[in-house]
Amino acid sequence: MSDIIIEVGDRHIREINEDIQAACKTGEKIIVRNTLSRHNLGIGLPDGANIHFEGSVGYYCGGLNNGATITIERNGGWGIGEAMAKGHITVGGYAGMSVGAAMLGGTIHVKGDSGPRCGVAMKGGNIIVEGKIGYQSGFMSHSGKIIALGGAGASCADALWEGEVWVAGEVESLGVDVNIIEPSAEDVAEVEGILEPLGLNDSSREWRKMISGQRLWYFESRDANAWLMI
Amino acid sequence: MCGIAGRILNAPGKVGDDLVELMVAQEHRGSDSTGFAIYGIPRDTGYVLRGMGFDKTSIDSDMDDFRNILKSHGSDFIEDPTFVTNEDSHYCTRMVISDPKDVTRWINDADEITDRFEVQSCGRSLEIIKDVGSSDDVANKHGVRELIGTHGLGHARLATESSVLPNASHPFWARPFPDVAIVHNGQITDYYTWRTKLEHMGYRFLTYNDSELIAVWVSDQMKNGLTMEQALTKSITSIDGVFTYMIAQPDGIGFAKDRFAMKPLVTVQNNGELAAATEEQAVRRVVPDESDIINYDGPSMTDIWGVGNRRAAA
Repeated sequence: MSDIIIEVGDRHIREINEDIQAACKTGEKIIVRNTLSRHNLGIGLPDGANIHFEGSVGYYCGGLNNGATITIERNGGWGIGEAMAKGHITVGGYAGMSVGAAMLGGTIHVKGDSGPRCGVAMKGGNIIVEGKIGYQSGFMSHSGKIIALGGAGASCADALWEGEVWVAGEVESLGVDVNIIEPSAEDVAEVEGILEPLGLNDSSREWRKMISGQRLWYFESRDANAWLMI
Repeated sequence: MCGIAGRILNAPGKVGDDLVELMVAQEHRGSDSTGFAIYGIPRDTGYVLRGMGFDKTSIDSDMDDFRNILKSHGSDFIEDPTFVTNEDSHYCTRMVISDPKDVTRWINDADEITDRFEVQSCGRSLEIIKDVGSSDDVANKHGVRELIGTHGLGHARLATESSVLPNASHPFWARPFPDVAIVHNGQITDYYTWRTKLEHMGYRFLTYNDSELIAVWVSDQMKNGLTMEQALTKSITSIDGVFTYMIAQPDGIGFAKDRFAMKPLVTVQNNGELAAATEEQAVRRVVPDESDIINYDGPSMTDIWGVGNRRAAA
């Protein structure tokens, strides 16, 4: 049993991803080196794969994940884990814009901050950000939870559907049509249960749970002025 | 989608080569046309011009007319102009001229012949090199990799709002102000409103590229006495659209980003040097080691990075 090493450098992305897919079939742990913040690394990885990206990656790393455990040593670009169905992605540093966009399930754990529109249009699963979530995080999220332990940027939880945004710490400002509700003990226990396997549970946190105000769900054009932010 | 880049060196060096690398890495963001703004070692007097004529068979008559306008403003060529052509009908030129009595008046007259020939940059050190084609095409045609300087901008264009034409490539010179150039990634949604307003104020537009509007708008702000920092901040609430643009001047590069945080900008800054690009992977071409990346991901952001040493030996 030994790790499989895959070199990125300036090789063609298709060749790299074919090597990664082939390595996944062996069941061995995969280490990807010299990533140079390249885009589209490790797309559509299968259930059970275990892969580590050294350094920083570019856009869409771990996108369409189908059950792999993916770790990124440092930063990720836009759309990390976009549309993933299941699995677990850990970003060691900063996750760029739209982390977990349209994800269906699984967990994304960001150890640093996230960029704008974290969890945009997500349809399931959980995103846990140890730092601060960026501008307009949770935008039009349909389902699932975004849990931020270090505050949130402006326009937080804008235009939610049935997703939830949980924030401990400062929230710069709220987006449109947000309700902040007092979470029940069961709700908090559920969130602590999500954080516990990551070693992040802490019962002393003061949570703000944000859900949709549901007024935008029944948008009428005559009310447009009420929603104009510009 | 377009790709932009900026580079500052802490002493004059191969800034052209670095900007080409930054743009080659972002070629997938647009290869309709590519352009560079390079700040070379500044002249004490005289201006370097870069220009483009649209019919290479009339170079001689274009140059005669252009020179006559120069002479009527007390200026002339200091060096013989050099020309670059290929199978395309347009030609590009580099000229060095003595100081016109009044740059604003001269360029206003010189712009009377923009149906045939346009000045695309004027500066003690600024040179804008732009053309249709990918970054490698443009770099090879114009020898951009060999250009020495302290800082500069790069742009790869994917034309979404107007035609692909050699002169509609970025960067744009903020005429009539010498040594000011902009590059832009985004869409300006109130383009026609602003264009009409600025035309009524006497400004002339040479293309239908919405990015030219930023250059003209910035010129107007500078004319009104705003500093670069003030103009950058004001643009965020004055201009509508999604954008990240950069302005370069002799002493630095600044950027502004729209209220919706749609267009990225990534930098590495160390030892007085800057590498900036739309994508992190491009920055890694010139700063390959893992280093501290600064993402300008938030809404309504501006910043200015200074150029330290412009004349030290390379």
